[in-house]
Amino acid sequence: MSEIGKLTLFLAFLCSCYGVVSIAVGLRSGMAGPLRSGRRAVWVVCALTLLATVLLVRVLVKRDFSFRYVAEHTSLDLPAHYAVSSLWAGQEGSLLLWLLILSAYGAAFLWCYRKRVDPFYDAVAMVVSAVMVFFTSLLAFVCSPFRVLATPPADGNGLNPLLQDPGMMIHPPILYIGYVGFIIPFAFGMAVLLMNRTGTRWIEEVRRWTLFNWMFLGFGILLGGRWAYVELGWGGYWGWDPVENASLMPWLVGTAFLHSVMIEQRRGMLKTWNVALIVLTFELSIFGTFLTRSGVLTSVHSFAESNIGPWFLGFILISSTIATALILYRKALLESENRLDAVVSREGSFLFNNVLFVALTFATFLGTTFPVVSEAVTGAKISVSAPFFNRVNVPIALVLLLLTGIGPVLSWKRATASVLQRNFVIPTIVGVLATLVSIPFGVQGIYPIVCVFGSAFVTAAVVMEFARGIKARKDVEPPSPAALLHLVQKNKRRYGGYIVHLGVVLIFVGVLGSSVFQKEEHAPLQKGQSLAIGPYNLTLLGVQERQVANAMQTRAEIHVERDGKRLPLMYPAKAMYFKGEQPMTEVALLQTPAEDLYVILGGVNEDGSASIQSYINPLVSLVWLGGVVMVLGTIVCLGDRMRLKREEKLLT
Amino acid sequence: MTRSGFPLLVPVLALTLALAAAAIGTAWAVESAAGRKDPAKAITSQLICPCSCGEILSGCVCETGKTMQGFVSDELKAGKNGEQITASLVSKYGEVILGAPKAEGFNLIVWVAPFLATLVGFVIAAFVLRRWVRRRSDLALAGAGSMPGAGGTGGVTVPGTRQAAAEQDLAAYRARAEEELRRLEE
Repeated sequence: MSEIGKLTLFLAFLCSCYGVVSIAVGLRSGMAGPLRSGRRAVWVVCALTLLATVLLVRVLVKRDFSFRYVAEHTSLDLPAHYAVSSLWAGQEGSLLLWLLILSAYGAAFLWCYRKRVDPFYDAVAMVVSAVMVFFTSLLAFVCSPFRVLATPPADGNGLNPLLQDPGMMIHPPILYIGYVGFIIPFAFGMAVLLMNRTGTRWIEEVRRWTLFNWMFLGFGILLGGRWAYVELGWGGYWGWDPVENASLMPWLVGTAFLHSVMIEQRRGMLKTWNVALIVLTFELSIFGTFLTRSGVLTSVHSFAESNIGPWFLGFILISSTIATALILYRKALLESENRLDAVVSREGSFLFNNVLFVALTFATFLGTTFPVVSEAVTGAKISVSAPFFNRVNVPIALVLLLLTGIGPVLSWKRATASVLQRNFVIPTIVGVLATLVSIPFGVQGIYPIVCVFGSAFVTAAVVMEFARGIKARKDVEPPSPAALLHLVQKNKRRYGGYIVHLGVVLIFVGVLGSSVFQKEEHAPLQKGQSLAIGPYNLTLLGVQERQVANAMQTRAEIHVERDGKRLPLMYPAKAMYFKGEQPMTEVALLQTPAEDLYVILGGVNEDGSASIQSYINPLVSLVWLGGVVMVLGTIVCLGDRMRLKREEKLLT
Repeated sequence: MTRSGFPLLVPVLALTLALAAAAIGTAWAVESAAGRKDPAKAITSQLICPCSCGEILSGCVCETGKTMQGFVSDELKAGKNGEQITASLVSKYGEVILGAPKAEGFNLIVWVAPFLATLVGFVIAAFVLRRWVRRRSDLALAGAGSMPGAGGTGGVTVPGTRQAAAEQDLAAYRARAEEELRRLEE
């Protein structure tokens, strides 16, 4: 089995190389044969990678400890579903998953454009193949998941307890679909430069691919936040951990691109900037893997550390150098019309929004990497964590929130004074009213106030846009929920974008509520003693020891009342996994739309008391809801593709 | 003033001021909110757990974290203030225990660079926008000047005629562009 796995990956490497060479020959000579053959090589790599993945999953499920990867990441007592998810628990497996998704993207790309006879698409496939060469070479020669042990152990080391969570079964694949998918926009960008291709058709295609990847990356980040919330047990969901930051950076640059690409589509401007954003998004997605794998920074993802960091760094350096050189070489191709009617216009606001997204990325990048830089320069170790990011990133994000409301209500080309008055007065009044109403409820300080104002402003602006659209169609259809639906159907791209903005607002409000209004109480409780937090009263009924699957659990049983009304029992616990070294926190959660009661068991003290830590996290549900709304909005935007396809068909 | 009738400096200054105000507000709000709630948390939320977990001390659930949280509470009860407690921890563990580096020496870069970069970005964006708007109007005027009967009268330009023609051209262009944009948005 090991030899078959190794051979499969080696063949995948050969096919990737062949794909690059064959397509390059085809493009140079203009012969169709090598191009066709090179495209087929991409399909073969996909099939071989799928085979390798199936083989690895098989030995993981069988717990064949003769394989080093299986022995390191599974054990006999590990539930079967976690044996499958241990595919992405370690370096080799997650690289294989990366390659599988990468090759699947290559195959999906070829399938989508199978009817287009244009060497441009072959050039895109060549770039995808070139990236596959890097990943297949790593898997075939540097860190094969099919390495065997001379003396197989009787049992494996087990899966990291942190990863034994249902969220971890979907968070990494979803995140990877987003991360890896940025290869397609990158390949498009490179192909445009390589082929000296003019025109704007490709930019619409890139927008759609980017939107798809952006949605998955965003959803993956959200799932990661949810995992941190229920698994790490510190009462929060975003800790500005280096690896969290690494996933946020490509998402931010991707967001900037999705805005600025609209200017290129409408005005033929910002061509160089857009290609640069595509390249940066891709490089940052690779940088994320580098951070996870290199171990240069302390992170909650340190379980994934390995020695392949330098390979990734080398790849980033080479690919970014090639991309930059190509951009400079094809400077003339990317020349824009660079003409604008007015500064105060949607184009103008998008330019400032791009500055802020890139500034936010820069701040995140600087803060994430600064400990390494500072130590190299000063010799002293420092930390750059949440206290830094909260001071630097949050204000930039708040200005972005305000722009989220301002941008869409500005007209394209030129916003006249009457347009500004018409579009801004009501949102501003709503924003001010919301702020005034929120102050008696405890919203204090500029940061929360700006957040409340901005959220209300954006919401009002978006609602007004929908109302205006319905009003404009009232001759066709009287105002009704159905009219709203039809309005969205008529222009999915525009209204999908507004739905995404509403999701952003929900997240901001959720973050505001759960951070500024969070309540926390902790106390050691003896059996029968109570702890009051807000309207809740928690009474310890007892502490039991019990065995669950592959861990010994110490579980507190807590009776909960809210304003005298009995609520379901809560069971915060500490689990000591048989294969783990540290006890893991099992959070007890009582979730309502308004707030979460979040209870953890700190431990059992020598006097028999249980350390109970409790939080009330108001509005945290809005963070998750906002994420879902953003995904829905993006799906609506992607639905625009069908209309475009129909139009294309009609034209041809 | 730009052609649009809006001073260019206004959006740039507004955004910069908003950013600065929000920055000050954030620092103030976060610190004061934490301080009001729980003085121990106000201190521990600015510190990193000294074990290898790398988590913020206030939310850390590891054994070292819990011991350190207890230490901070004890020191507060003993009458020490936040600065004294933080200083004693820094002297014991080094600056690595601070969640954010002190804004001094080389580390000042990490505090200044993001805001400086944002400001520079705004200024560049503002200049770029202004140049694009100017180019647009220059090209429109040049186009109008070269049109026969629209100001280009055998090498002799008649300012009044030229301006009128340029405006006529611009109006036609705007109408066409509006129509195209309307079709795009539908």
